[in-house]
Amino acid sequence: MVNLTINGKLIQAEKGEMLLTVIRREGIEIPSTCHHEAVEPFGACRLCTVEITRKDWDGWKRYVTSCLYPAEDGLIVSTHAVEVIELRRTLLDLYLARSPKAKLIIDMAAEYGITKTSYEEIKDGDDCILCALCTRVCDEMGFHAISTVGRGHGKEIAPPLNEAPPDCVGCLSCAQVCPTNFIKFEDKNSTRKIWGREFELLKCEQTGRTTITKEFAEHLSNKRDIPIDYFNTNDETHRKELAKTMGRITAWGREEE
Amino acid sequence: MPFRFIVTPRLCTGCRTCELACSFTHAVNGKPGLSRIYPIDGGFKDLYVPVTCLQCEDAACVKSCLVNAITRNEETGALELNAEKCVKCMACVAACPFGCALIDTKNNLVVKCDNCGGDPVCAHFCPTKALEYREVTDKKLKSA
Ligand code: FES
Repeated sequence: MVNLTINGKLIQAEKGEMLLTVIRREGIEIPSTCHHEAVEPFGACRLCTVEITRKDWDGWKRYVTSCLYPAEDGLIVSTHAVEVIELRRTLLDLYLARSPKAKLIIDMAAEYGITKTSYEEIKDGDDCILCALCTRVCDEMGFHAISTVGRGHGKEIAPPLNEAPPDCVGCLSCAQVCPTNFIKFEDKNSTRKIWGREFELLKCEQTGRTTITKEFAEHLSNKRDIPIDYFNTNDETHRKELAKTMGRITAWGREEE
Repeated sequence: MPFRFIVTPRLCTGCRTCELACSFTHAVNGKPGLSRIYPIDGGFKDLYVPVTCLQCEDAACVKSCLVNAITRNEETGALELNAEKCVKCMACVAACPFGCALIDTKNNLVVKCDNCGGDPVCAHFCPTKALEYREVTDKKLKSA
């Protein structure tokens, strides 16, 4: 356990815990886009920046990304110091120039009093803010189907060689974690389209509802030792089957209806 | 002695009070959550089976989760799904052979029963004691 001060309040935290986690647990709201509990902190969006200092720093201060800075004894953290707010405003201003139509960015910027960027809006800018959550989650799940390509101005998220990614299983996690909903997919009848690929969705015979893609099911079945036919039945049918089985046990000897 | 969630279908009247209790208990930002328990027709006259997570030992949901968002709470024995960690790939929903990992579309979450952290609210509300949360002796556990 370590003792630190956040916004003037004495707080205890687990040693090695990142500041962002501690700050959020305290109910203090600070913006972030690139943070997700499923993956290691990355420090891409810089929005979680806070001011830190210590008693023995003679008034010196540092500005650090709280998602990457571990809680330490004696740390004095300020999440809404004037300088921090100014910094966040600049960032949001820049984000707004890059992705002027992204709802998340518009909302975050509005909270910091920015409704229009003071920079020049990027022509045909898109909603991708390059937080790389999608690629990191994809890596974490072990697929490595997409990655960031290019650098600087031309940086983007794409499958290798910009072709339909062979390692993708169509699990949709990338699209689900994308903070700006930029990653597009389409589920129609029993096909799913994403990253230029088409997947077959498994269908529950009884209800006609789809579950997950065939490729994803096969992967889970091979790697995690789950019988493949579990995936051919949707949750509703599974529940009904369980009720029937338990019913039969409970009403042993009675006549079925 | 360990506490267990005990379901006695014979006593269930299918009143669905548990669903209501569950839904309100797991509300998100004032919006009712999806119930994690369902009394379902057991195939016989007047027989309902309250279906909810069995907190399996070698659980398919745990195995299917590639980001390890579902873990066992050693204190309550329940499997808990960390919503912050979940990437909504729906693997657990598809994998659970009892259909007890669910998609709460209204709140955009994947959810499952966590025994309310050790005090299941549905059990308090069940008027016929078809749902109970009580201590079980080791002997009974072994024979069960
Ligand atoms: S959360 Fe994005 S940099 Fe810390």
